[in-house]
Amino acid sequence: MVEASNAVVINGIIVFLSLCGIGIILAALLSNRMNPFGLSLVASIASVSVLLVGGEVLLSGHSVQTELWTLPFLGTLTFKIDRLSALFVFITGLVFLPVSIFSAGYLKRYLNRYNLKTFSIFYYLLFASIVLVLISGDILSFLIAWEVMSIFSYLLVNYEHEHEETTRSGFLMLAMSEAGTIMVILAFLIMAKASGSLDFAALRASAGGLGEVARWAVFLLSFFGFGVKAGLVPSSTWLPRAHPVAPGNVSALLSGVVLNLGIYGITRVNADLLPVSQVGPGLIVLIIGSISALVGILYAATENDMKKMLAHSSIENMGIITAGLGAGFVFAASGLPVLAGIAFIAALYHLINHSLYKSLLFLGAGSVDYAVGTRDMDRLGGLIKIMPWTALFFLAGSLSIAALPPFNGFVSEWLTLQTMLQSSAIHSAGEKIVFALSGAALALTAALAVTTFVKAFAMSFLGMGRSKRVKKVGEVRRSMIIPMGILALSCLLFGILPTYVVPVLDKTVAPLVHEKVADELVPPFFTVDKGDPKFGGAFVSEFHDLGAQVGRSYLPGRGLVILHRGLEKNPVVFAMSTSYTFIVLLFLLGGTFILVKVLTRARKVRRAAAWDGGIRRLLPEMTYTATGFSNPVRVIFNAVFHPSTIEDTKETVAGHFRTAIKNGRKEVHIIDRLIFKPITSFIQSVAVTLAKMHAGSINVYAAYVLIGLVLVLVVQRLLL
Amino acid sequence: MSKWVIKGLRTGIKTTQYPRKMETASGVSPGLPTAAKGTEKEVQELVFNCPTGAIERSGNQLTVDYNYCIHCFRCKRGSQSPMGWDYGYEWAANTKDSGANRGLGSAFNRSINIRFVDGGACGACISEIEQLNKPYYNMHRLGFFATPTPREADVLLVAGPVTDHMRLPLKKAYDAMPTPKLVMAVGACALSGGIFGPSFMSDAGVSELIPVDVAVPGCPPPPLAIIHGLLLAVKRKSSALLTSSEVRG
Repeated sequence: MVEASNAVVINGIIVFLSLCGIGIILAALLSNRMNPFGLSLVASIASVSVLLVGGEVLLSGHSVQTELWTLPFLGTLTFKIDRLSALFVFITGLVFLPVSIFSAGYLKRYLNRYNLKTFSIFYYLLFASIVLVLISGDILSFLIAWEVMSIFSYLLVNYEHEHEETTRSGFLMLAMSEAGTIMVILAFLIMAKASGSLDFAALRASAGGLGEVARWAVFLLSFFGFGVKAGLVPSSTWLPRAHPVAPGNVSALLSGVVLNLGIYGITRVNADLLPVSQVGPGLIVLIIGSISALVGILYAATENDMKKMLAHSSIENMGIITAGLGAGFVFAASGLPVLAGIAFIAALYHLINHSLYKSLLFLGAGSVDYAVGTRDMDRLGGLIKIMPWTALFFLAGSLSIAALPPFNGFVSEWLTLQTMLQSSAIHSAGEKIVFALSGAALALTAALAVTTFVKAFAMSFLGMGRSKRVKKVGEVRRSMIIPMGILALSCLLFGILPTYVVPVLDKTVAPLVHEKVADELVPPFFTVDKGDPKFGGAFVSEFHDLGAQVGRSYLPGRGLVILHRGLEKNPVVFAMSTSYTFIVLLFLLGGTFILVKVLTRARKVRRAAAWDGGIRRLLPEMTYTATGFSNPVRVIFNAVFHPSTIEDTKETVAGHFRTAIKNGRKEVHIIDRLIFKPITSFIQSVAVTLAKMHAGSINVYAAYVLIGLVLVLVVQRLLL
Repeated sequence: MSKWVIKGLRTGIKTTQYPRKMETASGVSPGLPTAAKGTEKEVQELVFNCPTGAIERSGNQLTVDYNYCIHCFRCKRGSQSPMGWDYGYEWAANTKDSGANRGLGSAFNRSINIRFVDGGACGACISEIEQLNKPYYNMHRLGFFATPTPREADVLLVAGPVTDHMRLPLKKAYDAMPTPKLVMAVGACALSGGIFGPSFMSDAGVSELIPVDVAVPGCPPPPLAIIHGLLLAVKRKSSALLTSSEVRG
């Protein structure tokens, strides 16, 4: 059994890697015109193989390990897939499959403008390196794959290299990413020094031997280093710049997969290799996560560029995931493994959901960009009549990300917020305050997310088209609609079937917290028998009194998600069930529809124009814009945005009269303003001071040399 | 600050008793000419003096067409004038178009929502309609409410001769109203174009555009006449006549 499973996994990886190789050769051979089709075909098959590998390990639960080859002086390259890797591999496949299909149509826009062969090659290499990052079992292979991944994601973002803006954003992305990598390397080196080996298993074994300072150093370096990739504050500024310039399908990958790698790194190092044993690091993770969430959504709410808005929202979602992880670290360090497990499940669930709906939304934004040629929500509008399918799936994505039931975002945000409420189990008052404030920040974030995506959907798809371009377009081709449909359907499924997802996630989390929480989180309420040792007698009989056992043979499985089982008297504290809600909603909607039809069957319907105040003609310029919709947020959070007004005036020659005044508005991102600006201005002032030494006279330089020599001699004389 | 409570209590209810009792306070209505019978000279003079041509002559009998009358008192001036004058205010009448719209059923008797459209009125009718919302006339006590959107309105109240610029908005508002609905034209202008229309910039009343159910003559009609019109719309009062009957004997 184990061997068969191993064979499936190893063969799957071999198939995947060879498919990537075949794809690269094919990409080089095929013409530019045929390349998108080849890419979509081979990459989809490769994604399916990745899905199989991930799914096999996730469900069977056997870690698979294999050694690739030994490098002289450096060590052995090992691959190891445990459940944590498998989960991320599975998500990667889940996102790559639709995005690959989508690319076939989307890449047509670059035909005759850019070289599609290079795109395909970069695409395969990025895909392969992402999977290799996730399955590498030692520091060396991890870092090699990580670097390859960073470079190829940069090359793909930089694909439209003719624009200056693209190149600048690409460089920023590359620079920040490399800075993060250096921090990660340092963290790994500290761990490797203690264990004397590069293998992850050896690192894990020797984790206990590290001192307090080294632990803190590893935590800070790895958290902030991987945080760059995950787009966490303060290293989030590359995200909103890289996304709008990247091709639509690359944006989907960037948000749906590449950001996850940052979370993977943080989880792998701080939960698996060197588990956080103190509350402090956990609180830092929690605080950074909450701040990222709030800052991300504030800028998303006021942004009018569709892709930039989605990028800011990615920062927000990564923040929510990180906050969940932070809560997990704190609970684990305080000796509450069950709550830690729940927090980790919430975080990982949100990670899956974010990958699904964010790639869906990016594909939607890409389709709009493809069809209309603009992403400015102020200029869009009325697209639902022209692109009904895109609109439908974008709506599904918006509902998911706005955390509205029965879609998937609701489940994970519910779990995350409820986890925050569980801080009552912690004893320290200070930690409780941090939890309360983080919970409040996340709640505010959730509310603002609804505002953001009401605006995103309504301003782009509803109302009237606010530019001439909108009237000329049509629906995108079917090969671009179907992938969005796949993602929308997955969003719904992950929303209405949380009770089937949670046990799988529980198995993933169990090795990290050494506790199984599936029965706590999704108890088999309706199928439990009296006298079950895990469930109290009073509790079970209360459910039996309600008639819970009546339809047990018809119920397909566990249907409720609860967060806490309280006392015997009062068993359920927080519970929800999207599965049953969905069924009830369907019945209610269907019933209402039929009722209305029956009641009004004799009624004659008269159609007349909607009341518009009696104006002669409603012009697009008169309708509500995205800027107008988000202005309340802009006003309320003025202190965060801190805009500066630019006044551009024209005067007559003599300067007595002003002939024109133009007011502009300039915003500097709060992170740039508060963190990066002071640093750059400090360094610049130091440089200016030092520059005074360079007087330009050769005698002065000769004097510097002489003084330097004397100083060296004096120091040497004094020390020796 | 607390004085207004005492003051309010001391003042008591000042709202008119109409329609329970006829309002008898002086000045609530300017009144309308009724009919006249006189000598050839008197009759000629009266017809000549009428600025809107509201007075019709047959022999030495004079009748008044209230669609046109602006109760300017020119036919009443001087002690010798044979013109009769009615100081009442129950003037509202059903028109020949009544029933063109699907009228309101009995369910609306004590609750209607009114949308007012100013079809280019001079301001007089508007200020009279405004009085309906004020404590003295207080139409809410009768179940009449103003609404900003025609989508919720049962009665469309129109004043003014319908100028060119207001023709489209009026039509749109009428189309936007759900059935059952009624249209009520208020003032001489809305009934016949009055002293403005028909002209190069306005129609000759609302009925040229949409069917009118209830007509309230007057220039402007006093608030009580408008209330009578609303009560007529919900069939709580009976209709008056739009043309005066002849003087007998």
